[in-house]
Amino acid sequence: MVETLPTARRLVFYAGIVGVWQAIFMMHVLPETLLPSPLQVIDTLAYNASTGALPFAVGTSLWRLFAGFAIAVAAGFAIGLYMAKYKVVHETVGSVVLGLQSIPSIAWVPVGLIWFGLNDAGILFVVIIGTIFAMAMSTYTGIRNIPPIYIKAARNMGASGVSLLTNVVFPAALPHIVSGMRHGWGFAWRALINAEMLFTFLGLGFLLSVGRDLFNMAQVISVMIVIMAIGLIIDMLLFSKVERAVETKWGLR
Amino acid sequence: MAKLELHNISKIYNQNNGVVKTLSNINLKINEGEFVCFVGPSGCGKTTLLNIIAGLEKPDTGEVVLDGRAVSDTGPDRIMVFQEGALFPWLKVIENVEFGLKIAGVPKEKRRERAMHYLDMMQLTKFADSYTYQLSTGMKQRVAIARSLVMDPEVLLMDEPFAALDAQTRDLLLVELQLIWQRTRKTFVFVTHNISESVCLGDRVVVFTHRPATVKNEFKIDYRRPRLIEDTNLNNYSRAILEELKSEVVAALKEEFKESQSDASEHVDGSH
Repeated sequence: MVETLPTARRLVFYAGIVGVWQAIFMMHVLPETLLPSPLQVIDTLAYNASTGALPFAVGTSLWRLFAGFAIAVAAGFAIGLYMAKYKVVHETVGSVVLGLQSIPSIAWVPVGLIWFGLNDAGILFVVIIGTIFAMAMSTYTGIRNIPPIYIKAARNMGASGVSLLTNVVFPAALPHIVSGMRHGWGFAWRALINAEMLFTFLGLGFLLSVGRDLFNMAQVISVMIVIMAIGLIIDMLLFSKVERAVETKWGLR
Repeated sequence: MAKLELHNISKIYNQNNGVVKTLSNINLKINEGEFVCFVGPSGCGKTTLLNIIAGLEKPDTGEVVLDGRAVSDTGPDRIMVFQEGALFPWLKVIENVEFGLKIAGVPKEKRRERAMHYLDMMQLTKFADSYTYQLSTGMKQRVAIARSLVMDPEVLLMDEPFAALDAQTRDLLLVELQLIWQRTRKTFVFVTHNISESVCLGDRVVVFTHRPATVKNEFKIDYRRPRLIEDTNLNNYSRAILEELKSEVVAALKEEFKESQSDASEHVDGSH
């Protein structure tokens, strides 16, 4: 009962928002082209779902997201690992990583377009580059924050090289890496929508940009709702659960 | 032949304000199955010496000889128990105890069996599947001891393992450790700054000087076991060691005071 109460409150709140939206619509404050009714948005959503345009866009965006994110996590981990292991790598590559991290992912879109053209590779490039540096930094911080006594104890018991990495360094840095992944996937998701809008080559970002071109506000809003819903689902069902599980197991909460 | 020999060990550290000589020409022979305690003022380099024996640090001069053979790297023959336990929080208690065997490539069934044997010995069987954050400090330290015994080392190195424990837990573990030592007949090297602890445990207590650490004196403790730390018959030993150690502790404090003074004056100089 206690658990269901916040959910109930939340649902009432959401219903309230839709109600206010509907009220504004009915008062004709804005023309219908600028502010469609909630029902019109749901209609558009249903229509796009029935034609297969929406499921296809969601599928396209999701595979790009996961492919780009997976590559960024793996490569970012490798960069972060070398930064933590070799001082010279941190001093050289590390400073560049920090600088590149501050470039918004949308600024990479022209580079992706020119280098790869209007295709998946160009979009993946933007997703990867928008995520990789944050992953590298969180891996680096995670490894640097490992209590030296763990490494000492592991070496004392015979661990070195790869066995030290897989048995101690990686698990010890995992809580940091997981929270880095949680932030990183947010970067990847934003970068992807950015890229899809500007590349106008399939995906949810493309559908959004088509809505704008056709002056179809219902489509714009419906796609935005889908983007938000996917974001929430991935964060709540995947990352926050994993993060919580890791923190519990490591005794951090 | 001695089990463990230290020949002429010296160690120098480079610090920002010059070089600090930590260990100077340390020569020691430790016999098979002997329980030796190192005492000295805190910061004198006892831990560094233990790290060198374990192969975790390299000496600048000298060598560590185990069973007549010079050793310079880490090895399963010299296993350390750390002050903080240094258990891995992402592993269950049993997995922590198995860690060294896993690294050594011992098959899962076999390492579990051996790990359970030592958990039994430490009376921790029912905590095998717990995580370390669920244990008290004393239990953690007992897991750490099991984790090192399971490696079946020639020499057990203990770096102030009881320093963070409350008095009652420590007193129990002091007795337990003597029983384990009698049962396993391994060579124990135990570092502490606590004189009563060293007298309670050691066959021999080696007293080190303040930095650079050298061997100042040695005391044989010839007394029946298991000893209790509150046994008044041990007081004479403690008193003799304290007498030896007093001037070193004073020297250490003086130096610390001087360092903090010069730090303070640097602060003043830097401000204008």
